Amino acid sequence: MSKSKSPPSSMTNRVKILRTFPRFSASQRWEHAILLVSIAILLLTGLPQKYASSAWAQVVISSPERLAIIQQIHHITALVLTALVLYHLGKACYLIAKRKLPGDMLPTLQDIKDAWNMLLYLVYIKKQKPAFGKYNFEQKVTYWFLFFSIGILIISGYTMWFPETITRVLPGGVIPAAIMAHSTEAIATAIFIVLWHFYHVHLERLNLSIFSGWLNEEDMRAYHSLEYDQLVRKPRSNQDSGDINS
Amino acid sequence: MFKLQHVNKLPGVFLVVGILILASLLWFTPTRAREYAQETEQYCLSCHSNPDLEMTLPSGETLSLYISQEQLKDSVHSPNGIECEACHTDITTYPHPAIEYQNVRELSRSYYAACQKCHPDNYTKTQDSMHAQVAEAGNLDAPICTDCHGSHYVQPPDQPRTLIPSTCGNCHTEEYSTYQSSIHGNALVQESNPDVPVCTTCHGVHNIQDPRTQQFRVDEPDLCASCHADQEMMNKYGLSADVYDLYSLSWHGVDVSVYDARWPTIQHNSAVCTDCHGIHDILNPDDPNSSVNPDNLLVTCQKCHPGVSPNWTGAWTGHYEISLQRTPFLYYVDWFYSFFTPMILWICGIYVALQIIRLVVDRARRSLR
Repeated sequence: MSKSKSPPSSMTNRVKILRTFPRFSASQRWEHAILLVSIAILLLTGLPQKYASSAWAQVVISSPERLAIIQQIHHITALVLTALVLYHLGKACYLIAKRKLPGDMLPTLQDIKDAWNMLLYLVYIKKQKPAFGKYNFEQKVTYWFLFFSIGILIISGYTMWFPETITRVLPGGVIPAAIMAHSTEAIATAIFIVLWHFYHVHLERLNLSIFSGWLNEEDMRAYHSLEYDQLVRKPRSNQDSGDINS
Repeated sequence: MFKLQHVNKLPGVFLVVGILILASLLWFTPTRAREYAQETEQYCLSCHSNPDLEMTLPSGETLSLYISQEQLKDSVHSPNGIECEACHTDITTYPHPAIEYQNVRELSRSYYAACQKCHPDNYTKTQDSMHAQVAEAGNLDAPICTDCHGSHYVQPPDQPRTLIPSTCGNCHTEEYSTYQSSIHGNALVQESNPDVPVCTTCHGVHNIQDPRTQQFRVDEPDLCASCHADQEMMNKYGLSADVYDLYSLSWHGVDVSVYDARWPTIQHNSAVCTDCHGIHDILNPDDPNSSVNPDNLLVTCQKCHPGVSPNWTGAWTGHYEISLQRTPFLYYVDWFYSFFTPMILWICGIYVALQIIRLVVDRARRSLR
């Protein structure tokens, strides 16, 4: 980064060394890319169906054939997203079985304290931001919110897709409930992604580590100081990025 | 000689001028019944009041030529001065011109064109109707004005109101008998109910259209709503006037409203009112024979959703408000999202706003320092 201050006094020469820290494995980056594309397609094909009677949706859904195509794209993308979720859960189960699941993403009591301290910092009661580990509470909220909302969307989506089969087992009342849950949850998820996620990765700072896989030293110190301290003190080989191959 | 000739021309000039005035009067006010006032009725009845007066047409059919003076006096035309010659324009005196019609039907189909002179609007409407199309296709039994209204003894067609279905029922016997046993028909006959629909309420009067078209189908919920969304009328019978609005929000209703607005002529299958409730045979849902009675509902659903299990009927919430008793799943989902979505919006919004404020203030301070 060009804005970097002069290197610490401990450094003897004047050469600037840009250290990067691995953050996401190739598998995780692919998962995010597929998730991003599939959620975008699902939203773009879902919203015109939800608001079918409004004028803007009628531009997209200009004929019954178009509607059928849009539904088909929605269904195929849903299958891709389902496969992704199954892969993600399968990998988690595999890592749990091998006792290798990194616990970084699990919510802890510290996260609630962090959130409270962050709030105090934001209203100028505290002078310092809390120090965060590999995933701060904002990132954990992003992950777990999407985890559960995608869960709701997948379950309600399949209920709407195969209502005849579902009602062989479950009472009929779940069908209209699923319709309402699917369309309302999708809106809540869209609001969340745009407000919360886009702010944190685009506005607060442009964080492209989920695409590149690494984070630079400056950002590591500013946003993940606990992890940074841990990493620079310990040898690199101990670090676990959460990948199957690691 | 010259003078005599001049005098002889005068009556001719008067005659021509008189005819011109009369013709112009007739020409410019063709719909005013009074213009047809004639004094021919008594003259005609001097022969036609004979009950035995009849003739045989070339087809072998016997055409009665008897006119009942009493019934004629009761009709809407005669007391208003619209007499024989208004319609029988070709007959001015005795002996009459020869009748060239082969059979009675041909005669009727020719004479009914006379109705157009005074009733041009309704006559034109009938030319667009399903009945006219059927006649054009070759069915000469398709009704003309006189089949429904009568010829010589025309009466107000809706007095009493029960007269309407029975008139239609002359040809549409099956629909008529089905209608009579329906909740609408039964209320009309038993209680002389003034609100229930008769044939013409739904099908129209003179410009009756084919009810089997896609356009008729998608317009149908609006048709039923013209009474069933009328709060005042529904209150009289203890019925809910919200059925249409709630239907419009349901899976079927949303689908139908999109097709109605955009593709009214394109075939689709989402259920409209009559698919579940029946058409002429609509019954009270509490009636054990009703297609929407809880006992028969599964069979009704299976018409479109073949092979669904008994649980399926529970998926239908179309006419009911969300309630804990009737639709518990929907109730809890609705309850959850009533605070969850706004909560997400507010928490995200406030948190991000606070962060932006802090970020901007900090940067501003740093740059001022």
